Amino acid sequence: MALSLTVNGERRTLEVDLDTPLLWVIRDELGLKGTKFGCGAGLCGACTVHLDGQPVRSCSTPVEVAQDKSVTTIEGLGTETKLHPLQKAWVEHGVPQCGYCQSGQIMSAAHLLEHNPSPAREDIVAALSGNLCRCGTYSRIIAAVESVVDGSTSAANRQEGA
Amino acid sequence: MRMNRRDFLKVSAGSSGSLVLALSLPGCASIETGYEEEDGSWRPDAWLELTTGGAVYFTLARVEMGQGTYTGLTTLIAEELEVDPASITPTFAPVAAEYRNPLYKLQLTGGSTSLATSWEPLRQAGAEAREMLILAAARVWGVNHRECTAFEGQVRHPNGADALPYGKLVKLAASEEVRHDVALKPRDQWRYIGKNRGRLDATAKSTGTAEYGIDVELPGMVYAVVTRPPRYGARVKSFNGADIETMPGVLSVIEIERGVAIVASKYWLARKAQQQLIVEWNNDDAVTLSTADVFALYHHAADEDAGERERSDGSFSEAAENAERVVEASYEQPYLAHATLEPMNATAWYRDNAMEVWAPTQAPDLGRIAAARVSDLSPGDVTINTTFLGGGFGRRLTQDYIEEAAAVAYRIRKPVKVIWSREEDTRHDLFRPAMLHRMKASVSGKTVTGWHHQVVGPQVLDWYVRNAAPAQYPWSPKFLYNTLGKVGLLAEGIATPKDISAIEGAIDYPYDIANVEVRHTHTDPGVPITWWRSVGYSHNGFAAETFMDELAHETGADPYEFRRGLIRNQPRHLAVLDKVAAMADWQGGAPSGRARGLALFQSFGTFVAQIIEASIEHGNIVVHKVWCAVDCGQVVNPEIVRDQIEGGIIFGLTAALHGEITLVDGEVQQSNFHDYMLMRNYERPEVLVNIAESSEAPTGIGEPGVPPVFPALGNALFALTGKRQRALPLNAEVG
Repeated sequence: MALSLTVNGERRTLEVDLDTPLLWVIRDELGLKGTKFGCGAGLCGACTVHLDGQPVRSCSTPVEVAQDKSVTTIEGLGTETKLHPLQKAWVEHGVPQCGYCQSGQIMSAAHLLEHNPSPAREDIVAALSGNLCRCGTYSRIIAAVESVVDGSTSAANRQEGA
Repeated sequence: MRMNRRDFLKVSAGSSGSLVLALSLPGCASIETGYEEEDGSWRPDAWLELTTGGAVYFTLARVEMGQGTYTGLTTLIAEELEVDPASITPTFAPVAAEYRNPLYKLQLTGGSTSLATSWEPLRQAGAEAREMLILAAARVWGVNHRECTAFEGQVRHPNGADALPYGKLVKLAASEEVRHDVALKPRDQWRYIGKNRGRLDATAKSTGTAEYGIDVELPGMVYAVVTRPPRYGARVKSFNGADIETMPGVLSVIEIERGVAIVASKYWLARKAQQQLIVEWNNDDAVTLSTADVFALYHHAADEDAGERERSDGSFSEAAENAERVVEASYEQPYLAHATLEPMNATAWYRDNAMEVWAPTQAPDLGRIAAARVSDLSPGDVTINTTFLGGGFGRRLTQDYIEEAAAVAYRIRKPVKVIWSREEDTRHDLFRPAMLHRMKASVSGKTVTGWHHQVVGPQVLDWYVRNAAPAQYPWSPKFLYNTLGKVGLLAEGIATPKDISAIEGAIDYPYDIANVEVRHTHTDPGVPITWWRSVGYSHNGFAAETFMDELAHETGADPYEFRRGLIRNQPRHLAVLDKVAAMADWQGGAPSGRARGLALFQSFGTFVAQIIEASIEHGNIVVHKVWCAVDCGQVVNPEIVRDQIEGGIIFGLTAALHGEITLVDGEVQQSNFHDYMLMRNYERPEVLVNIAESSEAPTGIGEPGVPPVFPALGNALFALTGKRQRALPLNAEVG
């Protein structure tokens, strides 16, 4: 079936089974590998993307749900040469260990800050408790988000549309 | 030594884009050094490649799975080469003899050995290359090379004004004599070692551009999923392949040794087809035990067989005879899964009588053996491309997932990626072994006179040697592989190191007690096992340091003072113990409603003491704070050390609070993160880490944070409730 959706600002039309999880469309049809497969059941958050601005678990969201909607992935948030403030904070705080969960962590954090630019510690912890990190980088994740909130990450000026 | 070009058969593109040539002798691949005119690149050794364009490539032979080799090992070579580590491009090593881990004679990353075994050779390699560049520059200028210096990728003229960048010198440097007597930089001249300079892979891992095994994409690639027997050891009897082959997107359904593979054009179509697959299994050789049977087997074995004596100081039996009393306790630990966040996966392509594999693996040379086993190829025909690993923890030392991809690729002759679901990853893991420990101590008055530790359970090498032994002799004919595996075990200590996986942390009991006996009753229930972040130390640490706490209680001593009195002759143990007690203000005690537990444990050469503060709230164990004092010798990157310790503590707490794989009639009961839970952000305690200043050689850091967690938390719960925790996972309702 033909399906249209917007991914990172670009309109895409694809032939795909409508029950295919959005994750596999993003990864294998669109070639955006930054969004990760962890559990297939919405339990780990490695596959988190924004669908019309809301964080969703793309591993358990049928692509049909994204028809005519707008998807933002980690690649749409920032790039190596133009980092999103959260990505900049992640690098400055040396957050990633194996790194596999971090796209999802950053996407969850980005959604939080869009809706609450000055979250308390509890808000950050609550917003990120759906994202598992097997390496145990949680304390650095909190520190990195807080550095963006209090402006202590260098050039923490927030980008538009992020 | 430069090899003749005709000696080389295999040419493959290195990830740097330049050519890496491998020797034709299968399994004896060797990295060619010297200057390559065509690419304008110079390889002074197996690790470095410098180009006329000024690029520096570093071949990383210890894989990056989160533990920080990408940054740490690059820092070592950068320090001596005199370049900024951030200007170096690390590439993942192909399989070659030069890249073997000297401790295991295999190319594997594990045992918290990467930094310790690279510390001298990588700095030496960097220093030799630097010296050759200096010699070349001195020759250009006609000055004494001793008066030239290297700094930030340049050689400086003695006049202080002129300089030549390395890129301009590589061709000349290649013809300089290699000197092996170059002195390493003294500690006070280090510019990068011991400094916090961030992680070199942080940007790629924060922007989604780091390539993991699961991200590999090849032209015309198809996908496969594998249905494996629910009971380990079962075989395929029959399956409805014809029905499945008619399903949308399905290209073929094939039986492989490990189960039934469905190959489809897309991953999701393979998964959908798999739901309709019906396999009948032959369970004749299958594991049919339940968890209770495993422990019954262990207890029975422990009664029947006192076990191999692995350590004996003085005479425990005499001490027990002469003592006022003998204290006994036994401890049980469950099977544990690894739960790397990136599930097992591998991509393989069989063509032109060769196989190429892309995989997140901790042991690429074992991956070659696994691929060769299931095809008509020899290991030398198999190329393994290693990617970033989305977690390892020992799981990816076993190459079953490469074996599957290779078996499918060999049959279909197309590039194919096999991805495991989370449920498959959990159920078909090879587990941290379940173990039983029987402890005895002889006590007179307030003095412990003897210590007896009987470890009961399997050892990992029995399971690992199947691919490991052939990997040490990759030129041996394939029909000898199984024999080699058996010989490898028999010749323990020659072909393979002695397997101490069951007893590590027990045989090195550090306390000053005159009569110490450690025994291993070797019994294997047949459930697949492998290494798991700190392995034997994880279960022996729980048994030994909980029993120490029991003895402190038995003799009416404070747990800290008790240990302190018995560790006076071990200065590094004593130092971390005193440090952690000071950090936590041990004497001050815990706030009301909470309690603290202590553990002191050495593993992988590193000394760790922990104090954990916990409470029980609404029937749940809540961990509030962890204090941790560490001595791992010279620190190369303080932030990575801190991260590894904190990550190890979270890893340990995950297992202590939640970790348990159970079997019913041989079938694993857990499947995904709802029933095999990982610690989440909101459960995270505050972690305070202190790293000792030391100029001792660096020791392991990836694993040593894990073992003390179990006893420290269990001892805290005892202090809180008066009830002793003798089984894992810990239980708020133990009574």
